[in-house]
Amino acid sequence: MTAHFINLLDELLRRSLRMASAVEHMLAEACDAAKRLDGAMAQRIIDRDRDVDEEEVAIETETLRLMTLFQPMGADMRQLCTILKVNSDLERIADCAVNIAQRVYHVAPGVMEELGDDLEDFYPAVRRMLQDVLHAYAKVDVAGAQAIRAQDAVIDALYGQFIQKAVIRAAGQAPEMLAAYMDVLSIAKNLERIADHATNIAEDVIYLGTGRIVRHSIP
Amino acid sequence: MAVVSEKGAARVNPSVPVPSLPPSERPPPDPAPAPPAGRIHVAAEGFSVFYADVEAVRSVTLAIPQGRVTAIIGPSGCGKSTLLRAINRMNDLIPGCRVSGRLTLDGEDVYGPQIDVTALRQRVGMVFQKPNPFPKSVFDNVAFGPRIHGIRGRSQLEAVVERSLRRAALWGEVQDRLHENALGLSGGQQQRLCIARALAVQPELLLMDEPTSALDPIAASRIEDLIDELRGEYTVIIVTHNMQQAARVSDLTAFMYMGELVEFDATSRLFTSPAQARTQDYITGRFG
Repeated sequence: MTAHFINLLDELLRRSLRMASAVEHMLAEACDAAKRLDGAMAQRIIDRDRDVDEEEVAIETETLRLMTLFQPMGADMRQLCTILKVNSDLERIADCAVNIAQRVYHVAPGVMEELGDDLEDFYPAVRRMLQDVLHAYAKVDVAGAQAIRAQDAVIDALYGQFIQKAVIRAAGQAPEMLAAYMDVLSIAKNLERIADHATNIAEDVIYLGTGRIVRHSIP
Repeated sequence: MAVVSEKGAARVNPSVPVPSLPPSERPPPDPAPAPPAGRIHVAAEGFSVFYADVEAVRSVTLAIPQGRVTAIIGPSGCGKSTLLRAINRMNDLIPGCRVSGRLTLDGEDVYGPQIDVTALRQRVGMVFQKPNPFPKSVFDNVAFGPRIHGIRGRSQLEAVVERSLRRAALWGEVQDRLHENALGLSGGQQQRLCIARALAVQPELLLMDEPTSALDPIAASRIEDLIDELRGEYTVIIVTHNMQQAARVSDLTAFMYMGELVEFDATSRLFTSPAQARTQDYITGRFG
């Protein structure tokens, strides 16, 4: 029975990692679509959201099934809890990518040109953070996860600076232009949210590796 | 710190504060568990049990607190039952069995020259894997111990029997059958009767050697509820093969392997984040 459980747990983990890879890809494409204001690419991201939602439910169902049938303990239980929590964060990251894609349709090219350079600091930083945390998840790299937790403050600082700059620019504009600025702000906000979800995943990896819950503590 | 990719590195504003990172090495394991809170009831110090030349329990040191439920788990032959049975000297009955080191009950050496083994077994009750009621009435089973200890008055015995059966959560089911043969009870009822019989002599400590392994899941669940109710009033030490049961009923868990005590910790921690790799492998079914 143990061998059977270990096989099922391995398969579930692989499935979770495949979903992680798909979500990472969605974020990369959302960044590219926003940079190039590529509507076709944005539509492809929006279309993929349903697959991610279905996969999230399937992974959750299988995780709960294994918990119920095998009543695992120790590291196995931590692994299942981590899969369940990461699953939820991955689905929300996909939602954020979809939100970014939806903004791509609305954003006024002129405003994007004005603020695009500042926004470009975000794309690689957030993408790298997600990439690193998913690597730490796959390898149960506790030290790596701790480093990623600390990165969240860097993203927050970037976001703060961007907001300040965008608000100053928007303040001088005619009221009908404000919606366009809000679109760009929304892209930044969603990137910042993705970094928060990546931080959650880092905290889950620390729990997975050590059994310690570090949420709400200073990294 | 790699916050951004090489492509974007030049864009990072140097004024962005870069938080200092925690040490990159994996955090050290938690320090040895703090000694259990409360009065120590049973303590072993370098305690070993030998069957002829075989050392079945190897130099075990642990302190079991009063009023708590402590589980001993481990694969077959790891010495957990031997350690349990050493506490009320049941092993004395096995030829060639000897002990070394120290085992104390309330600080008193269980194997000291002054100890009265009969009195010890009154203080330390025992419940076995298979329910073993005497082929007597329900009443006489529970009254057996008190009678041996000199209680003769009918009303006094009735009071002890009722109190013990209530404590063992059996009174409601047998109050109209007190004078029927105990062997007519179900297995789960028989096991609770054995617990009532053990409680009747007012022990301070209850040893349970796989008390539910011969019972169906519902009867086992009632025994677990009972253990939960006894917590606080009695010290309970339970040997079990059922890890979920150990996790459910106990406050502390000791994991033994090949006669050694591998890990002893709060149950909540031992079953979620054990400190030792051997414990981890055992509780996740990798061996044993």
